[in-house]
Amino acid sequence: MPNLAPPGVCMLLEPDLAWLHLLSDIGTGLAYFSIPAALVVFALRRRDLAYPWIFGLFALFIIACGATHFAHAWAMFYPNPLLEGLIKAFCAAVSIATAITLWPLLPRLLALPSPAALAREVEERRLAERRALDSEARTAAFIANLAEALFVLRVDQGGTRFVTETVNPAYERLFGLPASQVVGKDAQTGFIPGVTERVLPNWQRAVATGEVQRYEVEAETPHGHRLWQTVLVPMRNAAGEVDRLLGSARDVTETRRLQAGIVESARLATIGTMCAGLAHETSQPLNAAALWLRHARNAATGLMTEQGARLMAALNVIDSQLRRAGDLVSRIRGLATETGEAETFDAARVARAAVRIADGQYAPDDIALSFTAPSGPLPVTGSPARLEEAVLHLLSNARDAVLEARATDPAAPARIGVALREQGGRVVIEVRDSGPGVPDALRQSIFDPFFTTKDPGHGSGLGLSLAAAVARGMGGGIAVSNPPEGGACFTMTLVLSEPTAQGLMPLAVAC
Amino acid sequence: MASMAHRILVAEDEGLAAMAIEDELLSHGYEVVLAPDGQAAMELAARQPPDLLLTDLRMPRLDGAGLIRALRAARPDLPVVVMTGYAPAGGQDAFRREGEAPVSLFSKPLDMDAVLAELRRLLPG
Repeated sequence: MPNLAPPGVCMLLEPDLAWLHLLSDIGTGLAYFSIPAALVVFALRRRDLAYPWIFGLFALFIIACGATHFAHAWAMFYPNPLLEGLIKAFCAAVSIATAITLWPLLPRLLALPSPAALAREVEERRLAERRALDSEARTAAFIANLAEALFVLRVDQGGTRFVTETVNPAYERLFGLPASQVVGKDAQTGFIPGVTERVLPNWQRAVATGEVQRYEVEAETPHGHRLWQTVLVPMRNAAGEVDRLLGSARDVTETRRLQAGIVESARLATIGTMCAGLAHETSQPLNAAALWLRHARNAATGLMTEQGARLMAALNVIDSQLRRAGDLVSRIRGLATETGEAETFDAARVARAAVRIADGQYAPDDIALSFTAPSGPLPVTGSPARLEEAVLHLLSNARDAVLEARATDPAAPARIGVALREQGGRVVIEVRDSGPGVPDALRQSIFDPFFTTKDPGHGSGLGLSLAAAVARGMGGGIAVSNPPEGGACFTMTLVLSEPTAQGLMPLAVAC
Repeated sequence: MASMAHRILVAEDEGLAAMAIEDELLSHGYEVVLAPDGQAAMELAARQPPDLLLTDLRMPRLDGAGLIRALRAARPDLPVVVMTGYAPAGGQDAFRREGEAPVSLFSKPLDMDAVLAELRRLLPG
């Protein structure tokens, strides 16, 4: 409170009143010097305050007001109107500046969120975050349980390097690669050997064109032979460059196999009908020719001349060629029909018998022949003689493969392994060899009648065909694959039968 | 001698084959009756009952299986030899009914020595 009375007037006051003025001014001054200190400490500690300079301005204004009180108290003893006036003028200047600054600032200060509003906002953000997390968890569960293999490739070094960022469990199942083995690794070296080179052009095209790529791959994976369809979606970053490839791969191995199976069944039915017709129609003229040849030989036997001998030699050649044609006809007939009554028998005993026969025949070739089967019987229904014949054909084919490998490398291993097992209601007979394996392109045609890769005169091209016919006749099928350890593996699957009440019927292998 | 000879009914639609078989059988002392199909064979069998039937399977009018059934209806123990270009499903049991004698099966082209041996076995003496 500025004293408008001239200096020295206070001396005229009552001493009690003078003390009241003096102590009030000193108390107010001290308080006015203490408040800014608190304000400055607060402003310095709370670095997040909006408009921190306003606290400095308040502090200065309060200090200035405090100074006027001290000046007034001082003036009661040593009046100095000039000093007191200057201090008041400074206080007035700072007060006015503060007042002028404060009014325009007011709307902005009012716009600052209150603590309650801040708390509300924090809560809202927390809820939004939880919703996002829930959504992410749902997406993660969806991806984890998706039947399709998903993978994300990061595009590095301008599209020359790809790093696998994420894969889902279906990816691990389809490609037989654990996530730990591929995630964070170079996708070109970490993927299935031999496949990367085939898919890489698609990855590069996706990066270069920014367009979705679709492709199909068939390859041997650590989980076996697989066929899959991939859709590759390029993802762009903020700069518009493709920096990620989002891939999904669908396993169509089984679908294709079933489709191929339907086509194959129809084709085999046609082949079967053709074989039957061919065998029958060919056997008629062959039969007449063979009968008349016999006639001719009987007539020629009476001729004791040189011409007679030459005629007989010629007739013998014709006879041997007719027999050869006759053998061929009977083998073709074997492809078309099931002969003999079906009985239930132990596949392992029949296969073991075939291996024993082959072991004796192949002994001079120095081929290691092994046989494994479960201890219990493996009942199947069909003709034991036909199954034995089929296994012998598979063994003979394996032997040819082993000898072929030896022809190129005399030190090549010479192993044939026959293994039987029960698997999901089926009896599986595997014949593995250490030969050169079967090229992919021949996988289907190798079971076709008269298909052979062997030199003329070696093999009729009917052995594998017959094995396939036997497998089909027993409710199964046959397939060939090249196992990773090399060679070829022929897999015959037969329907597992319920053993008959009397147990398995005794074997009657007529060969 | 002729009256003592066994009479074989040969049902075969391939004329050339039938002629050769006839020659062969005659030379081995059998009496031969030739029929070009199953129907003709049945009619001939009614007039001259055979001691054995040697038949093809695929024939016009009446096939081998039908012929066997018809002749065995009257004579269940009639010896039957089948010569065929087909290997029928079920083998020789395909033509045989309960209580009937077995059927011998030969595939074409015929091994005539084996057929003759079978005929000697079925028609002894």
